Amino acid sequence: MRIVIDILLAVGFIFALAGAKGLLQMPDAFCRMQASTCISTLGVLGVIAGGALYAFFVMGSVATGVKILLIGLLIITINPVGAHAIAKGAYRSGIRPDKEMEIDDYGRDINE
Amino acid sequence: MPKTKFPAVISTFCLCFVFWLFLTWNFTAQEMIAGAVVSLAAALFASKFFIHENAFWLFNPTKLGALIVYIFTFLRELVKANVDVAKRVFGGCKDVNPGIVKVPADLKGDYAQAMLANSITLTPGTITLDIAEQDGKTYYYIHWIDVAETDREKAGELIKGSLEKGIGRIWQ
Repeated sequence: MRIVIDILLAVGFIFALAGAKGLLQMPDAFCRMQASTCISTLGVLGVIAGGALYAFFVMGSVATGVKILLIGLLIITINPVGAHAIAKGAYRSGIRPDKEMEIDDYGRDINE
Repeated sequence: MPKTKFPAVISTFCLCFVFWLFLTWNFTAQEMIAGAVVSLAAALFASKFFIHENAFWLFNPTKLGALIVYIFTFLRELVKANVDVAKRVFGGCKDVNPGIVKVPADLKGDYAQAMLANSITLTPGTITLDIAEQDGKTYYYIHWIDVAETDREKAGELIKGSLEKGIGRIWQ
């Protein structure tokens, strides 16, 4: 069981590392947000799953495990709302990528 | 201002009470009574904002089954998209081709549309910027990290894929 827990935690850390690296190196604001979703999905889910298994089987405390699962549920439901609001706010306040975008329907439609 | 309806209060109460039990995980009579009182108060205030249509849809076994199947579909898409974005990041962040596509969707109802928008945002590589209604159809503006297809319909298939079908089965 400890091996499974360690693998889940390692997967979480790898995706969190990918998200952090992307957050620093991506070329524009929107792509940086895309990279940061890696942290809040598989990064968090891996760590949550590992932590819950640890609480259930190693600590033997069901209450702690259920609370950890609830944290995961809350992050999954709340995070996309914030991401959507930040991205829309950034676009509406005039932030544009340096390089021209491949296709930009939103800019075309809100300028009409 | 919508009015408070009795079935809506009951289903909100059940949800709040289950949440309370999970949080405390303590089945003495004192805790359960306190939880029931707090859940009832919360349900009386919040049910009119929380439930608009059918209050008991989750108690229908077909829809509950569709929800569980959807969770696994969504996890599979999530892992695929995560691996894709992580590859781009570890490849030096040069391999990106961003753009915003306008994608049509066929789902009816507020909750179904919100659920699809949130699922798309939660998948790395795509973020929903806005929802627009035109001529009775719904359109999503989606920021996409790698525009593989500029045709709107095909792009929609690539982005939504199996997610839209799963959500349609839950909220039909």
